Amino acid sequence: MSLVNYATREITCKIVYYGPGRSGKTTNLHYVYGQVPDERKGRMVSLATQTDRTLFFDFLPLDLGTISGFTTRLQLYTVPGQVYYQATRKLVLQGADGVVFVADSQSRQLQENIESLQDLHANLGEHGMDPRSTPLVLQYNKQDLPRDMIMSADDLDEALNFRAVPRFPADALHGVGVFETLRGIAELVLKRLASPAEAGRG
Amino acid sequence: MISVAEPWVEAPLKRFVDDARVMFALLIYPSGQVLGQSGFARAVDVMSAAALAAGIHATVRELGRTLEGKGFRDVFHAGAKRRVYLAEATTPRGPCLFLTVFDDQSSLGLVQLYFEELRTALAQAKVQAPTAAPMLDENFEAELNRNLAMLFGRAPGRRHITPTS
Repeated sequence: MSLVNYATREITCKIVYYGPGRSGKTTNLHYVYGQVPDERKGRMVSLATQTDRTLFFDFLPLDLGTISGFTTRLQLYTVPGQVYYQATRKLVLQGADGVVFVADSQSRQLQENIESLQDLHANLGEHGMDPRSTPLVLQYNKQDLPRDMIMSADDLDEALNFRAVPRFPADALHGVGVFETLRGIAELVLKRLASPAEAGRG
Repeated sequence: MISVAEPWVEAPLKRFVDDARVMFALLIYPSGQVLGQSGFARAVDVMSAAALAAGIHATVRELGRTLEGKGFRDVFHAGAKRRVYLAEATTPRGPCLFLTVFDDQSSLGLVQLYFEELRTALAQAKVQAPTAAPMLDENFEAELNRNLAMLFGRAPGRRHITPTS
């Protein structure tokens, strides 16, 4: 649920990066963190294991500046991708305004992508959120790997993008597609926030 | 200085901060969104504290359920100089979490005493009717693109990979 402060004209939106383990969710946030000047970001919080696998979540607050007279801030979260952290994923997803699903483009990871997407839909449903109307973009990460190891964006569309949402081929490690993905989800979230259907939600 | 997302939070929060003599106070939804705060200088730091407080609460609640069959009502952490108190509150907007940080100017007893007053005031607060959705300009996407491009140190209009659907 986006938080709108009319007195100070501020909008705060929660965006969650979701996807299977090692698909590159934390890498996206690390890249964003490295690009944004200090005065426009907070500390990147990572609750991780000793081997840097996400245990609870990563968190990065961003100040987007003024949009239509509203100071707009984004709260970027990642969830732990490993299968057994289901309860944690559900907690972090609570109150999300938009979701970036980070898929691993490697052919051998297809089943993990599908299961994670199903897990996302189930968790949104458990929070009473309609997966069909929740702002969602897909990122097909690791598109820099050799062609014989990965699925093309079109093939991934066929397997994952049955809602025909915006999707972004990416190489998050080197920043390719990270900016576009963030722009894509921010646009969907703000559009939904400003839509008449949102009026009255408070 | 106190900042609030909704006016009904301000008076009870200010009274608590003054009476309990705490350094920081933060009222948030369990999802980590901020309803009101006192003492933080930067909005991005408020968001980080809120995200961590929500995480602590979620973890401790599950620990409580495991050990006692129900979640713990409040949590206290003692640092070398500063102490943290985290507790649940009910508001007309639904369940919320309250985090406060204090030092030797206050005490756990004082914080708990005035938190009970705050909890009551929040439960009885008169909440304004929901407001209409914010009016974003028709071309807000252009502003969003420009702001994000500046944030990423990119020249506006430079093309990268674009979505195809």
